Amino acid sequence: MQTGTKISGFAHVGLIGWMVFGGVFSAHPDPFEAREVSVISAQDFDAFLAAQQPPATAAQPAALPVPEIPLDTPDVQTETDVEPDQVQPSETSQPETDAAPNAVPTLPTPDPDITDATPVLQPPEPEISEINPTETPNPAVRPVDRVAPTPVAPAPPDVRPDDVTNPEVSPDKGAETPQDVQEATAPEEANDRIVTEADETSTLAPSRSVRPPARPAAPPVATPTPDSQSEPDTSVNASINDALSEAMETAETPRAAPAGPPLSQGEKDALRVSVSRCWNVGSLSTEALGTTVVVAVSMTPDGKPETSTIRMLSSSGGSDGAAQQAFSAARRAVIRCGASGFDLPTEKYDHWRDIEMTFNPERMRIK
Amino acid sequence: MTILSKLLAVSLVLGIAGCTNATGGFGSGSDGSSNLDAGLVSDQTSPAYFQKAIGDRVLFPVDQATLTDEARTILVAQADWMSLNTDYKAIIEGHADEQGTREYNIGLGARRADAVREFLISRGVAGNRLQVVSYGKERPLEICSEESCYSKNRRSVTVLASNLTG
Amino acid sequence: MMKVLVGILAGLVLMSAQAMAQSGPLRIEITEGVIEPLPFAVPDFVPDGASASEISAQLSRLVASDLSGTGLFREVPASAYISKVTDFSAPVQYADWKAINAQALITGSVKVSGSRLTVQFRIYDVFSGDELGTGLQFVGAPDGWRRMAHKVADVVYSRITGEGSYFDSRVVFVSETGPKNDRHKRLAIMDYDGANVQYLTDSAAIVLAPRFSPTGDRVLYTSYETGFPRIYVLDVGKVERRVLEEQDGTMSFAPRFAPDGRTVVYSLYKGGTTDIYTLDINNGKSKRLTNATSIDTAPSYSPDGKQIVFESDRSGTQQLYIMSASGGEARRISFGQGRYGTPVWSPRGDLIAFTKQSKGRFHIGVMRVDGSEERLLTASFLDEGPTWAPNGRVIMFTRETQGAKGRASLYSVDITGRNLRPVRTPEGASDPAWSPLQK
Repeated sequence: MQTGTKISGFAHVGLIGWMVFGGVFSAHPDPFEAREVSVISAQDFDAFLAAQQPPATAAQPAALPVPEIPLDTPDVQTETDVEPDQVQPSETSQPETDAAPNAVPTLPTPDPDITDATPVLQPPEPEISEINPTETPNPAVRPVDRVAPTPVAPAPPDVRPDDVTNPEVSPDKGAETPQDVQEATAPEEANDRIVTEADETSTLAPSRSVRPPARPAAPPVATPTPDSQSEPDTSVNASINDALSEAMETAETPRAAPAGPPLSQGEKDALRVSVSRCWNVGSLSTEALGTTVVVAVSMTPDGKPETSTIRMLSSSGGSDGAAQQAFSAARRAVIRCGASGFDLPTEKYDHWRDIEMTFNPERMRIK
Repeated sequence: MTILSKLLAVSLVLGIAGCTNATGGFGSGSDGSSNLDAGLVSDQTSPAYFQKAIGDRVLFPVDQATLTDEARTILVAQADWMSLNTDYKAIIEGHADEQGTREYNIGLGARRADAVREFLISRGVAGNRLQVVSYGKERPLEICSEESCYSKNRRSVTVLASNLTG
Repeated sequence: MMKVLVGILAGLVLMSAQAMAQSGPLRIEITEGVIEPLPFAVPDFVPDGASASEISAQLSRLVASDLSGTGLFREVPASAYISKVTDFSAPVQYADWKAINAQALITGSVKVSGSRLTVQFRIYDVFSGDELGTGLQFVGAPDGWRRMAHKVADVVYSRITGEGSYFDSRVVFVSETGPKNDRHKRLAIMDYDGANVQYLTDSAAIVLAPRFSPTGDRVLYTSYETGFPRIYVLDVGKVERRVLEEQDGTMSFAPRFAPDGRTVVYSLYKGGTTDIYTLDINNGKSKRLTNATSIDTAPSYSPDGKQIVFESDRSGTQQLYIMSASGGEARRISFGQGRYGTPVWSPRGDLIAFTKQSKGRFHIGVMRVDGSEERLLTASFLDEGPTWAPNGRVIMFTRETQGAKGRASLYSVDITGRNLRPVRTPEGASDPAWSPLQK
């Protein structure tokens, strides 16, 4: 729907733009303006694709012919239609169906091939670029491309940036079973807020105090908060639960039906921190940054989110489009940081089998 | 006048001419101004005399268009000269240093030029002989980024033009 | 033993209780996140035929550079790829891209047949395993590949961020040569990324501050052609110009179009004061909006055309004010320390960009329309004259270096203050003005 609207909008604006201004550029054919960009109809494009299709593609699930025709592919259905080419001067010989480059025929979607096997990690080059070419006399806060809840000092050079800190694991020579080689990783260098040039170069008394670069954040150990913190010791439930889980453990009850006390504050915090680390709002629109979304997800017992269950329950503060962007970022956060399983107490699975996460970007807007 | 003194005068004028070209003094920047013969400094009716002996420019404090005492002294002499030499009209150029935004500096230069124009009128020069133009920070004389240069760039220059040419 | 028994008994009771309690999901609220570029991969678009391979590589690199240049995205280098894309219509191996943390994937194909260049592309959200929107195709002339690449990048940017883009846009600016005391200026126009520079005037007279019309077809600017600053309007396509305002004894400057494209707001010096006027360029009628002894200049319309923000030193120093587009009472919006000038209303309407002078330095900053949430984005010896990208997300401005060899050049910065970067121009450059997105 949204795409259809956009497409329609683009095409209409293009058409109108051509009608109004198409002629303007014509008298002066400067080389970089003169280009024809055209729309072809969905049918034409299908035909085009079909022609391209290698004859023998048995193995391939031939491009599903589900071309969701955009709500309207206006004005460009036939070759005889007006060509809204606003850029190309309306010079005498306008070739066939030239139109604004807003061509939006639907391409059939190739079948996604999702394999579960995670291949060995191929590290991307760490790329912490400083694009700031100007004087930076005050190194108090370095312009880092990344803003995170807590400042992160630069990682050692041979360490790959990652969302979590991992020690390096080298294959053990004598080991019988093959071991995965794991690279050392560390959280990427980050500031705890956006540092503008005005902040950096301020040679006078800073208007805000600047926190010194911190050591790499400790891995978010699910702080084993003493039960006393969240639940009074006197609680009958607690002792009963203790007894119960003890009983279950000794009875080797399969974890099909684990139960336990609710998650402690520390455990919840750890989960929150883990998701935060992958919640990247850097590419969100301003509107999406003002939109809070509530996302539901079901978890597997080993702490991994079931990707197909991630859904948006509600949103507030922005349009549907903004909510969708905000949801995409939230979903990426859950999937990425949950890929190796969140650190959640197995015995309390029933308490986190279903999770509702509220992503509220309010504080990120003003970093 | 002896030959020697004539030679001296000529060389002086040449020197001034060279100098003013470099600094854009006489007829500076005003692309449409007439090519006046500056004449000799020793000739009290010449534009050269106006420029050098009287002084064609006055300087202003930072972000101000108020006339200093020094400026007033120069402008009194300018007004007297113009009252005697009615064949000339003048374009008063206002300038600003680079420490300001472009549009504001045009406004500031205009304000400076206008202060000079008003003063000259108050000293008896007819208003229709005086036009103003502001160059803002577009035509600095000095190019360093220090107060020593800025103070010379915050100026107005009274550029003479012949009345006869229009 | 006794304890275990009690435990089991209690447990039985409890389990039923918990079975009910657990019906509510675990609820957490996340308010802290990270701000970092989103990693994407643009494998070189698959060339259809040998003749397409060079264009394909260039076009793909330009798409990547457009996206990376925003600071919102970061390209995953090809050396990290696990799978190669050799067939545009083949299924995407999501796992391979997930493994290298490419969160968005752009694939495409390029075909050249005769004088036609055909580009097809798709965008994938790797982690959700979905295509973002539907595939698109652009057709054009081969020498238009740069614009096609910008168009592709525009679609990618919009689909991922959910907001408008700005790659297929142009910038008009003042090209500068020569030392400070003999500077030659001429109008020039170029693509937003500095490519395709074309000169619109010669450097015989000083030219200043060009501004695009709302449709990008005309440019207003100030020229000293007559010896006095006057406003001209120039047809970009025909490179024809005409003077708009010509009154003896006056100077006009700082023009800007209203969103209607026919009204021009500008500063006019007349009778000793600089005030703000509007002019209908069709019938030549002008109207005075301010009437004060102060310097009132640098006016800029709100996107709805109902208000004008401008600078005035009526309080003693340069400050920002907003008034109705028909004039009248003005409300001051800037109250910080220092001087504020050159306000420009964002195309989204929510922010005003400005130049601030404070403690001997210049800043480009933004504030909300009511003057709140002031945020300085840059700091240097001399920054001035912000202009908004068509999507209101990026600001371009002039930066001039200090000293006798001082030189002006263009920079851009995200409105968050991130991603400050120079814009390459062949000569010195100042007074940029960003066009609307090209159609």
